[in-house]
This record gives sequence, structure tokens and C-alpha cells, in this order.
Amino acid sequence: MLNLILQLQMLLAALSALLPLVPEESRERAAEIIDTVAKVLTAGNSVGANLDDLAAKLAAIRAEVEAMAAVGRHVSGEELEASMARVRTASAAFRAALETAEAGAR
Amino acid sequence: MKHPFRALLLGVSLALTPACASLQVGHMQFENPISAARTLDQQAYALLNAYAAVIEEATDIVRDPSAPLAFKRALGQAERVATPGAEMLQIAVTAYVRARADFEAASGASQPTLERAATALTVAAQRLSQAIEAARAPISELEDLVRARRG
Repeated sequence: MLNLILQLQMLLAALSALLPLVPEESRERAAEIIDTVAKVLTAGNSVGANLDDLAAKLAAIRAEVEAMAAVGRHVSGEELEASMARVRTASAAFRAALETAEAGAR
Repeated sequence: MKHPFRALLLGVSLALTPACASLQVGHMQFENPISAARTLDQQAYALLNAYAAVIEEATDIVRDPSAPLAFKRALGQAERVATPGAEMLQIAVTAYVRARADFEAASGASQPTLERAATALTVAAQRLSQAIEAARAPISELEDLVRARRG
């Protein structure tokens, strides 16, 4: 998937070089489209890296739950509290990051 | 181009769907923690942690200056819908854990006490099942929101 994105980015760079040949009335619109596509492709790279992290985290959680299930162990109140604390921390960090991104876009 | 977004959605959906043990997306394998659970409390634990993991990764995407703002906003909308679901789930699972402890403590008690504890545990288990279902629903919401954003 990342190889494909890289190839598309190279293609995009080549297309950008051809922009001066585009009729003047369409040039601005073509540049906007190329710029948007470039941003999405760059985001694709970052999402790809995040998906690797997510896959690793989900595997770790599954291993922990499998171990619990294997011995028939119940989840304790403290473990549930810790899980919810993790959700709240992640949610607060996410909302702060989104606020920063929104502020940066203004 | 849409594959990374689709893959993210698949990963999220998988994390909160109990049917499959794992899903292969490209070179990546997404494990499903919920399908490994044998009890309601284990399911809730897996669901809460999987959801936290998804939000942690979404935070990194939102911090990335090159990610499109529209995509970040779509994630923001989904998070605002899903986090209250996780809060409700935590309340339900805490009540269930308490009811189960009461039931276990009442095992040597008189018949009426035992029956009362059993009834309370059944009610708590039903509420927890409903909360687990309700927490899954916002994930479909996420998918719809991002689809709408992506046109």
C-alpha cells in the first residue's frame, strides 16, 4: 500500500511539472486538485504508520484477554478503572489535538 | 488513495466487532480482542481498551499537520459520539462486577438473599449486554460520518 502511495506521489510530482501546459483558465483549478490529492496522499502515509501501531496495540490487548479467558479469570474493578482512565486520557489528548489543528487552520 | 482511510475504518470496526479473530488488511493483521473474551466483563474490558487504542492512534493523525482538516473533523465528530458510549459501558460493567461479587458472597446465605443477589446479577448482566451493544453502534456512525466526509 505504501509503495502504491509513493508511486502516486511521484506521478503527482510529474503532473505538477506539466501544469504550465494546462490552459490558463483551468490552471488554478488543476493546481488546487493536485494540491488536495498531494495532501491526501501525505495523510495516507501517516495513517499507514498509525495503522501499524494500532495493529500492535490490538494484538497486545487480545493476548491479555486470551490469557484471562484461558484461566477463567474475572476482570477486577481496578482493571476496569484503569481501562476507563486510558479512554479518558486518550479522549482528552485527542480533543486538545483537534483544537490545536482547528486553531492552526484559522 | 482511499485505502488508508478504508483500512482505518476496517481496523476500528474489527476492534469493536466480535465475530472474527483477526483481519488481514494489506500487509497488516488486525487482531480482534473482543472475540477472545469468554465473559461479559472480559468483553467490556477488551472493548474499552480497543477503543482507547483507536483514539490514541487517531490523536497522532490529528497532530499530523499534513492530514486533511476535513478528515480530522470527521474523526472528531466520531469521537464525540463514541466516548459517551464508552462511559456508559464503564458504568454498566462496574455495576455488573459489583452484582457478581454480591452474588458470590451470598452463595452460602439464605434462599431469599441468594435469589435477590441472582436477580440483581441478571439485571446487571442484561444492562451490560445492552451497553456493549450500544458502545458498538457509534462505530457504524464513525463509518457513515467518514464516508459522508469523503463523498
